[in-house]
Amino acid sequence: MGMRKIRTYVSLIAVLAAVALVVTGCGGTTGTTDGGAKAVTVTIGIGAPISDGAVALGKGMVRGANLAVKQANESAEIKDLGIVLQTVEGDDKGDPTTGGNVATQFTSNPSLVGVMGHLNSGVTRVAVKIYNQGNVLQVSPANTAVDLTQMGMKNYFRVCTIDSVQGPAAADYAFKVAGKKVAFVVDDSTPYGTGLADEWAKQFEANGGKVAGREKTGDKDTDFKALVTAIKSKGVDIVYYGGIYNSGALLSKQMKEGGLAVPLMGGDGIFDGEFIKLAGAANAAGDLCTSIGLPTAEMPKGQEFIAAFKAEYPGEEIAAYDAYSYDAANVIIKAIIAVAKEMGADKVTTTEGKKAIIAAVPSTDFEGVSGKVSFDANGDTTNKAITVYAVGADGTWAPAAK
Amino acid sequence: MTFSMSYLLEQTINGITLGGLYALVALGYTLVYGILLMINFAHSELFMAGGYVGLGALKLLGDPAVAKTAGMGFLAPIQSFFLSGTVGYICLIAAAFVISGIVVGFMGVFIERFAYRPLRHAPRLAPLISAIGVSIFLQNAALLWISSKQLPYSRVDGTSFVPAKTAFTVAGVNISTMQILIIVTSLVLLAVLDTFVSKTRIGRAMRATSQDRDAAGLMGVDINRVIALAFFIGPALGAIAGVFNGMYYGSVKYNMGFIPGIKSFTAAVIGGIGNLRGAMLGGFLLGIVESLASGFLSNAYRDVVAFIVLVLVLIFRPGGLLGEAVAEKV
Repeated sequence: MGMRKIRTYVSLIAVLAAVALVVTGCGGTTGTTDGGAKAVTVTIGIGAPISDGAVALGKGMVRGANLAVKQANESAEIKDLGIVLQTVEGDDKGDPTTGGNVATQFTSNPSLVGVMGHLNSGVTRVAVKIYNQGNVLQVSPANTAVDLTQMGMKNYFRVCTIDSVQGPAAADYAFKVAGKKVAFVVDDSTPYGTGLADEWAKQFEANGGKVAGREKTGDKDTDFKALVTAIKSKGVDIVYYGGIYNSGALLSKQMKEGGLAVPLMGGDGIFDGEFIKLAGAANAAGDLCTSIGLPTAEMPKGQEFIAAFKAEYPGEEIAAYDAYSYDAANVIIKAIIAVAKEMGADKVTTTEGKKAIIAAVPSTDFEGVSGKVSFDANGDTTNKAITVYAVGADGTWAPAAK
Repeated sequence: MTFSMSYLLEQTINGITLGGLYALVALGYTLVYGILLMINFAHSELFMAGGYVGLGALKLLGDPAVAKTAGMGFLAPIQSFFLSGTVGYICLIAAAFVISGIVVGFMGVFIERFAYRPLRHAPRLAPLISAIGVSIFLQNAALLWISSKQLPYSRVDGTSFVPAKTAFTVAGVNISTMQILIIVTSLVLLAVLDTFVSKTRIGRAMRATSQDRDAAGLMGVDINRVIALAFFIGPALGAIAGVFNGMYYGSVKYNMGFIPGIKSFTAAVIGGIGNLRGAMLGGFLLGIVESLASGFLSNAYRDVVAFIVLVLVLIFRPGGLLGEAVAEKV
């Protein structure tokens, strides 16, 4: 008898604790408009690696999205509609399994209509299906894997361009502008690295260049000594690396130290200051990478964004995806506004409202920080600009000479 | 594949260097196994710890930027000696080895005292699981207390502690200062350890304990002292390999010990686990095989070929290349 009572208490406490967790995790502030009428709270989820994985990029995503939401809440348009926007962060740790948990948590939040994220293509591959079932819009600032928009997910859009654009653009630069003729191609055996390296090699050969060899490494490898000796024997004038900065930097370092003084070129995965720190500025000097879009400072709305960023986050540096996350959040905000105008603010967080928000995104068309933001039939951005960056003598990435 | 004598030689030198690192780590596995019949799974994390302690020592003694930070000014005169030329550099590296070796050596003794000794008379699986626990603990400690990031093995301004450029070229073969340093140091350490174990009194006590622990105890050998010594020497050599690994490849990370740990353990098994010279032979053999496989087949095949060698050795000489002594024990 007493045993059963204890068990009842325990389960009661467990249920209460679970409820408390859900409330603290997903609940938020409800604001009121000036008129005193109750404002409708609409939530946007930010799915990004915050405590593990590519943390430097993930924190930038949070900054960019929060800035867009803050500006929207201050705008007359949102105030007039009686909407208060809020964000909630989900830490996917760059890991697909954790990303799936974040997605489940997001979709179970009734006021959450859209997700700005995720960074990693592998995470999105899991999460996008969960969002699709929950009628939640997903706009990614950073996924570059080609197949994500070909999975039949009508709720998925991205504001960055993809590997089948990035790889060839990099190969064109290497062959036509940098004048490289013989290349060695290395990848890190991940879907991202292999896909990008394949696209690069195909275009480099199509241009008339010679791919003297192709090797696979592991994405956590640190020993490239034997590989460097092998590459050196091929007489190449450029090495292309499909992968991220951790291993790429060590390959560059060991190349230069092993007497192979040719530039290493990579994709957006090595476009971070950590690459130069790990390789050493003297070794990294002359290395090349591509990143999606144009440099923020050169864009029509770039200076405005930089000024707003500096005011909001004094002392912080803009990372690769801050501006894209700002634009991606604005895609969601504009869809919310369109639906609120048509159906009324109180309908936004209903199932019909969420479906209408997804349906509103294909007609997106505005001038964002990264350029014109609009989507093709698959949900890919129509903005296919790629910028080539090079490590300068001062030890930073800077746009390369065209 | 392009073949030339100089290419073969250069890949062989890459292999000997890698083999030297494997041999240093493999000695730690084999010393402990020889005496306790236990595989110390935490050894790969002691290798990692050696890398971190060495980086700390190198930064304190050889990075002017650290001496300029507040409260660290007292380092400046010490650093001026270590940065004063070739002799200074050699002393700097030696100091990093000594500091890293001593700190990690005592970590090994501490781990043995508190994680393994209480389980010495427990079934053989118990200390094994305790070792896995220590390994996970050390990895997570480094992750939480130091950094989750891969740290560059260089000064704050990005320059290497030891100029690692090619030192000289013989008949088209490039050899770097780091390679010479690693090969020479590992050979010297291996020779010293071999002499120590075969010629000194305490070395004889170690061999006696290895043959029969109880009988050695009855003959007046202080068993606990011998075991503690094995747990000092093994991790200390592993730590030196960790410092080399950082300087040679250029970075440290909290989980960096895993792969070299497995490879070195393989090297110890190939040579005959429990046999010191076997661990050295296995280490160099594995390093050279890996390097040549990578150079003449494909980088993707290096581990495949390395483990094929392991399988072949185990089929034809189950006790390892030099491992007869072990066959009696098991």
